[in-house]
Amino acid sequence: MASDEALLIETIIQVSAAILLSPLYQGIYEKLKAFVEGRRGPSFLQPYYDIFKLLKKEVVVTENSSFLFIYAPYVVFGIYLLISFLIPVVYPSPIYLTPTVDFLGGALLFSLASFLKLISSVESGSNFVALGVSRVLSFIFFSEATLITVFFGVALITGTNNPYVTLQYLTQDVSHYLQLDHVLITISFFMLWLFETGKLPTESPGLSEMGMIDDALLYEYSGKLLGILKWGSYVKQYLLGSVLLNVFLFPWLLQTGPLGALLDVFIMFLKWLLLILISVIINTTLAKLRLFKVQDFLAVSFILSIFSLIITVLIG
Amino acid sequence: MVNTQLLELISASIIVSALYIQGQAYFKPAIYAQAIQSALISVLAFYLGFALSLIDYVILGIIIVVLRSFIITYFLFRGLKAKPGIRESTRGVASELVVNLAFFFLAVFILYYFVLGRIGLTTEAGTATLTIFSFILFFQGLFLIVTRRSTVAQIIGFIEEENSIVLFGVLTVPIPFLIEVSIFLDVLGLVVITSLLTLQKLEHTRLEELMG
Repeated sequence: MASDEALLIETIIQVSAAILLSPLYQGIYEKLKAFVEGRRGPSFLQPYYDIFKLLKKEVVVTENSSFLFIYAPYVVFGIYLLISFLIPVVYPSPIYLTPTVDFLGGALLFSLASFLKLISSVESGSNFVALGVSRVLSFIFFSEATLITVFFGVALITGTNNPYVTLQYLTQDVSHYLQLDHVLITISFFMLWLFETGKLPTESPGLSEMGMIDDALLYEYSGKLLGILKWGSYVKQYLLGSVLLNVFLFPWLLQTGPLGALLDVFIMFLKWLLLILISVIINTTLAKLRLFKVQDFLAVSFILSIFSLIITVLIG
Repeated sequence: MVNTQLLELISASIIVSALYIQGQAYFKPAIYAQAIQSALISVLAFYLGFALSLIDYVILGIIIVVLRSFIITYFLFRGLKAKPGIRESTRGVASELVVNLAFFFLAVFILYYFVLGRIGLTTEAGTATLTIFSFILFFQGLFLIVTRRSTVAQIIGFIEEENSIVLFGVLTVPIPFLIEVSIFLDVLGLVVITSLLTLQKLEHTRLEELMG
């Protein structure tokens, strides 16, 4: 098979796995959490049902909202789709479009998506959403800083800003994986992932306003737009989680070649089960924190990432 | 030979324990964290002692663990007067941690590039760059004293500074005599100060510092 065709197949597998399988992981997480809490819980396909139901429904838009409110969900989803080409979320070698952006570019695209989400939800003109946005902003000023610092850290460790090189470097030797700066940055990124995907024991996903962080942004959305945004957030969770697994936490076992790419989908599934298990344990065993403690949590993650930078630069 | 990665790991754990103390409002876990921090330094001393066959390092390790992990911890708990559940009212842990970060980050970079880089410190075990951890710990101790009002937290800050001097001494293989002497004198003073201050009162307000 010509290498171009192989590349095309690998690209299709990676992107379609990221887009189509991402709701499944949320479903498994919810099911497992319900099991630990002694409930039956919804089916693990529930996120798919929700998305299909919402995509079929009509959209209700408030009078005050502008065009940004209507079009931003599509752009946000498009950004996540683009990111799924750029970073090793399924396949461990570069695919189409990968050389366009480096690791930092990926981080900036994530930031752009969250900025668009914020600005478009404020456009609805709802006071309640404005409150939610200010709450989100009081947390993400730390998380965005940590995201960028973590990617700086990765760049400094390997001397390049390419996640694929990092992946290669880590799998070369166990001593690379156990380097102190890498360990610190992994812990920091894991903490960040817990926050970004609402897996902290502070946040209760859903529309209960006391523990609501990310869902406040979706409050005025309905129908198809809400479906797209929800799907987008599942994709985001998958992308960040897979970067955490492949570049930081568990970089081994990935195969190359078109058949290897198919196998990678299954390997990623197993890796994700491990990650879901860890996050369920964290979410169900820790006592529920007060909401403002999220800042302290993120501050620790930020400090660990900076500390890792200090160690990389000064000690090497 | 000395495994530098192991030294880095233990030194980084010491810094993490200092960060934990900075973010901790309750006295009891902070005192325990201080004991663990001192124990980690003694582990470092033991490791270097056995790896380089230096008997004085082993003795130093024993002294550190006895004096700091046990005796000072005992005095601090005695100072709490059997009320270990009490806490200091701290606000804004996140901002405190970030200011702490900015503080030691800047200080350490200045020290590294303008002081350590110029004097060309060399040690027998090749641990010269690791001494940077002792400076980080020193500035964290200093920051703890500045940000807290309770006597216990301030004493822990002082112990952290002392620990940083010991850490510097331990990492500068062999230990300079001056540092060795100052460690013992300081520990003696520390026990006296700890027992006196904590017996006096638990919290100092800003106005009291100005009273004659």
